[in-house]
Amino acid sequence: MNKPLSKFLKATGGILCGVTADGAFCAKGRYQGLRRRLLVILLLIGILPLSVMASLSFIQYRTLLREETSINARLSAESARQTIEAYLQKLTTAIQIISDAYTFEDLANQGKLDKVFAKLNQDFFGVVDLSAIGPDGIQQAYSGPFNLVGKNYLSSEWYTRTLAKKMYISEVFMGYRHVPHFVIAVSKMMPEGQGHWVLRASIDTEKLDRFLAAIYSEVVTDVFLVNRNGELQNSSRHYGKVNDRFPLPDIPPMRSILLAEKTGKKSVLHAFGHVEHTPWIVVLELQGYADKPAWIASNHQGLWLFFVCTTLVVIIAFRVARHVAMTVRSADDERNVVLAHTEHTNKLASIGRLAAGVAHEINNPLAIINEKAGLMKDLLENMDEFVYKEKFLSQLTSLQGAVDRSRTITHRLLGFARRMDVKFEPVQINDVINDVLGFLAKEASYHNIEITQDLQADLPLVRSDRGQLQQIFLNIINNAIDAVGKDGDVKIISFLLNANHLQVDIVDNGPGMPPEVLENIFEPFFTTKNSKESQGTGLGLSITYGLVKKLGGEIFVDSTVGRGSTFTLIFPIIASAPGGALQ
Amino acid sequence: MNKTRVMIVDDEIEFAQPLSERLTLRNFETQTAVCAEDAMTLLRANWQPDVVVLDLRMPGLDGLDALSLFKKFDPAMEVIIVSGHGSTAVGIEGMRRGLFDYLMKPVEIDELVERIKAAAEKRGLALRQ
Repeated sequence: MNKPLSKFLKATGGILCGVTADGAFCAKGRYQGLRRRLLVILLLIGILPLSVMASLSFIQYRTLLREETSINARLSAESARQTIEAYLQKLTTAIQIISDAYTFEDLANQGKLDKVFAKLNQDFFGVVDLSAIGPDGIQQAYSGPFNLVGKNYLSSEWYTRTLAKKMYISEVFMGYRHVPHFVIAVSKMMPEGQGHWVLRASIDTEKLDRFLAAIYSEVVTDVFLVNRNGELQNSSRHYGKVNDRFPLPDIPPMRSILLAEKTGKKSVLHAFGHVEHTPWIVVLELQGYADKPAWIASNHQGLWLFFVCTTLVVIIAFRVARHVAMTVRSADDERNVVLAHTEHTNKLASIGRLAAGVAHEINNPLAIINEKAGLMKDLLENMDEFVYKEKFLSQLTSLQGAVDRSRTITHRLLGFARRMDVKFEPVQINDVINDVLGFLAKEASYHNIEITQDLQADLPLVRSDRGQLQQIFLNIINNAIDAVGKDGDVKIISFLLNANHLQVDIVDNGPGMPPEVLENIFEPFFTTKNSKESQGTGLGLSITYGLVKKLGGEIFVDSTVGRGSTFTLIFPIIASAPGGALQ
Repeated sequence: MNKTRVMIVDDEIEFAQPLSERLTLRNFETQTAVCAEDAMTLLRANWQPDVVVLDLRMPGLDGLDALSLFKKFDPAMEVIIVSGHGSTAVGIEGMRRGLFDYLMKPVEIDELVERIKAAAEKRGLALRQ
């Protein structure tokens, strides 16, 4: 885990919260908020269009089904009405033809009437009887299953209406027979204007039932006739028998079909149509769209599809929101780490620049001291002996010695800040190592670390950059001292590897490094110095690696946990040119 | 044999003056100037140095520009920069403009004398050719 984040977790006890006690925002709350907002947005983006589409499809399909059901209802109702009207038209016409073809006297003859009835019954199923009624309202002849001769219909409604309308189809009534039936009656004027006689046929409602039964289908669940008061004129499957009451919502206009939808446990559609020249209204009951299998199946499929899609959207939204929040968090963490490292590096760079600046500024007064002391010494040396001459010379030599020491310090500072004179020159590696050790010796002694050297005396010079070599050895030996910590050893060995290369080993007996650390040891910003006392930039070894490569060298590391580490540096020996000047 | 002429160009009189005297004691003929313009006055007055010891930071022209000016005036003139300030880039740029050497203050008088002699020798060779 990177250092700032681990420090942060440590500071918060490993628990990340929303807002800290002092009101500061902390990581988890921020990313949870982001995750929640993303989740809501993704859910809205996913589910809202899905819901709108599902609703539109639902409404559109319902409208289509409704229209289809309404059209079917109108067609079926129209068909039923026309069937009944056609039957009644034929029967009425037959009765009118009989009344035209025969006189009252003819039909008052029982024998004649029986013949006519037999013929009529043969042509028209359902005609129960046929009777001739005189102008006095008394039935003169009757052909049928009952003996109704002599019955007086003068006060009967159908009789009155027949006389008034010339032709009349009655509502269904029970009559003398107590059997539900209706009558078709026509009135004709008697010769010489002696009132009107009436020819009447009775038809059982069973005939109507048969006609209407043909209209039943999968969608037409009931069909029956009612009068204007809603009284049933024949049997209904769902609303009872003749004369039972049906809740008629409205009287349909002539020649048109009225529709009424009824919703409840069951969805039904009623179609009403007036049967012309009769007091009847044909009523069809159709299965409502809501109970249609296609609608139910469509709803089930739609609901399942919606449920599955919604579930998928929710799962995807959760995963995407989580992934994005984690990615953002990871990116932020990385950025924070880089920023922290950059800040740390900048601080170091600032310190380096400051040190270099100070060193430069000190160089000038040092030069003045040096020259003035030198001049004094020169003058004194040319003077005759006097009592304090040796003492003065000794003091001036000490002064120049102090200037030399100061110069060494400022030049080292500049060298380590990499701002001093940098040039390729013949370099004795052992001298560079000694320079660096001179700088680190006190640091090592404070920690009771013994630094030993095993440097091959006759190493050839290498043509290299002294300043950068100093920085390479400073970084590695400093790392070794840090790794040992306290009470340990650091050994530096130099030797001629072959005719073209020399090798320097820096060996420590610190804790060593596991393989996973070794793999990343030269990566930028990788550091194992996470303690409060020893904070690393993670750049030291990375820079060292780059410098070694730049100088044409190689760097390797070998380490065993519990035994220590060995850094091996190999530098090429290149024929050195005389002189140290830049060329 | 003629003495080697050294001109010290440094705005720090406290540094230039004792250095001048020390070089005189070492058998050099010296002059000091506090800036490039001052040095050019001496040059135009026909005081031709063999070697110029030049500071980098000065009022008016800086050391590198002064170097260019001197080299333009006398291409065989050798210049050694002695400065408390400096960097690799300055050294490389100086070399590009014909700088003989570059030393950091404070400088050992013996080291400086060696470099002046080497520079004078180089100038002598150049003039002979």
